[in-house]
Amino acid sequence: MVNQKLVEIIQDKAALMRRDVIEMGYAAGGHGAHFGPALSSIEIVASLFFEIMHHDSGNPRMAERDRFVLSKGHACLAYYAALVETGYITKEQMYTFKGDNSFLSGHPSLNIKYGLEVSTGSLGNGLAIACGMAKAAKIKKENHKVYCVVGDGECNAGIIWEAAMNGAKNKLDNLVAIIDRNGVQLAGKTSEIMDFDIEAAWKAFGWEVFVLTKGNDASSMLEALEKMKNSNSGKPHMIIADTVKGKGISFMEDSLSWHARPMEQEQYEQAVSDLENAFTGGN
Amino acid sequence: MSNMPIDRLQKWSKAGHRTAMAESLELLASEMPEMCTITADLTPTARLTKFKERYPDRFFDVGIAEQNLIDFSAGLAKEGILPFAVALAAMVPMRPAEQMRAALGYMNLNAKVIGFEAGVRFGPLGNTHYAMDDIAVARAIPNFTIISPSDPLQIYKTIFAAAEHDGPFYIRLTGGPGFPVLYPEDFDFQIGKAIEYRPGNDVAFISTGSLLGEAIGAADILQSKGISARVVDMHTIKPLDTNILDKVFAQNKLIVTVEEHTSIGGLGGAVAEYKSRFENTPKQVMASLGDKFQKLGSYEFLLKENGLTAPDLVALAETNL
Repeated sequence: MVNQKLVEIIQDKAALMRRDVIEMGYAAGGHGAHFGPALSSIEIVASLFFEIMHHDSGNPRMAERDRFVLSKGHACLAYYAALVETGYITKEQMYTFKGDNSFLSGHPSLNIKYGLEVSTGSLGNGLAIACGMAKAAKIKKENHKVYCVVGDGECNAGIIWEAAMNGAKNKLDNLVAIIDRNGVQLAGKTSEIMDFDIEAAWKAFGWEVFVLTKGNDASSMLEALEKMKNSNSGKPHMIIADTVKGKGISFMEDSLSWHARPMEQEQYEQAVSDLENAFTGGN
Repeated sequence: MSNMPIDRLQKWSKAGHRTAMAESLELLASEMPEMCTITADLTPTARLTKFKERYPDRFFDVGIAEQNLIDFSAGLAKEGILPFAVALAAMVPMRPAEQMRAALGYMNLNAKVIGFEAGVRFGPLGNTHYAMDDIAVARAIPNFTIISPSDPLQIYKTIFAAAEHDGPFYIRLTGGPGFPVLYPEDFDFQIGKAIEYRPGNDVAFISTGSLLGEAIGAADILQSKGISARVVDMHTIKPLDTNILDKVFAQNKLIVTVEEHTSIGGLGGAVAEYKSRFENTPKQVMASLGDKFQKLGSYEFLLKENGLTAPDLVALAETNL
């Protein structure tokens, strides 16, 4: 069982991050933002940055830091929100999202001093790169882990399966990947775009697979990550987390239309109101 | 850098560029513990069996998966390992072009990509196995350095120079068994600095890769006819050595670019792009593979077919002077 106090902390951090996501996305104005895929992954990213990963915003190049790769780079708002709430990025910088000459582009761009570990956005490649990073840690006999968040739609990409084979072959048990299975991709439901048994596929490719049915539940997420982090099975780890696209915002939840778009003022006000009810009051 | 492998040059010449590459990588591995070699199910083809036996902990095979070859290399490079990713030039950079752009180029990672059997030397295997457009693909990616070495010793020097240079690299290898030793002794080799192999003020042959031998042969024939030909070994295609081009523009009457690549986006394209900035520069003609898929045939047949042998280059120069 996960400590209840810790669960409440993660829940509150998740609520703050969701608020940051809305702020940044709204500030992007007509450029719009990928709200849905960021909001579904919040508990994954919050659990990693506030509990599971060893890292220090005061020392972003620390050799022994755990590495984070957001393979589903379009969910960058979740990543940026975690970096804001852990002190890598200031609130002022946060509001430059998608602005002219900002370092906060619509997909993460390598910038170690701000905690941005790898440039991603071209789907599928983040996991393949994460395999290389995990292999490097093995070669150098370093003990840090590599965490990689993957989209369920992203698993359409061939490079994902090249990486899957390679991760298993190299016995990368220092790699923990999490599929944010929100069930919706750009043009529709994943079950309609490209339906396959994702759990069976990852098992067949030689990964240690854990299916988490409550992927937006902080307690379950912490438990799953803790378990995979400490597993020395000789296999790379894959948590398939069932999440809700647009989680936390009433009109975005499970919506096909909130994958990516601009937000109007009325919608912003509604989103802020939705989030005000999300704090536990415990932190 | 280790002692120059002068004693191996004849062997490398006889065996072809793959052996020169593989043994150069072994020599590099003996000096650089952080370097590794990765390939895509090509160990014997790339002559890397000995490397694999000598350095099993620094040799990886991703299988027939060139995209993963590049991404895996990117991840290793990101964490301070120095990967040399070796694959057929027909498959890299074209198949993983996007990985080379988004991972290696965009993050400016210190990974080296080697494409061997570039050009049309795979003759009878057909067009799927010709690398005619690889320079064009790699040139279009910012941050990449591109070198196409001309002879066995230059292959060795290119691999060592790439290892010492921080940033993504594409090394394009041409020259099959019997490709000539053009540099029998140690010579000054710098990334981005072309070598004036021979001075001359009428035509200037600007060549990249192992076709330098044909360009030199053409210059010899022209000299016997009283025509002075400069021969430039433009081993580095990006960044282009514009200093030597300025000299050629000022002193030569005709430029012939020589490459085993299409007429689009390769060395000829790079020279033409630079030349277009200036008025009153010499005419340029391209000896290249043109803009077409090739007929099936032996390497020798395909060189003749495309006008890339020494007598063809002579005729091209004489027609245009």
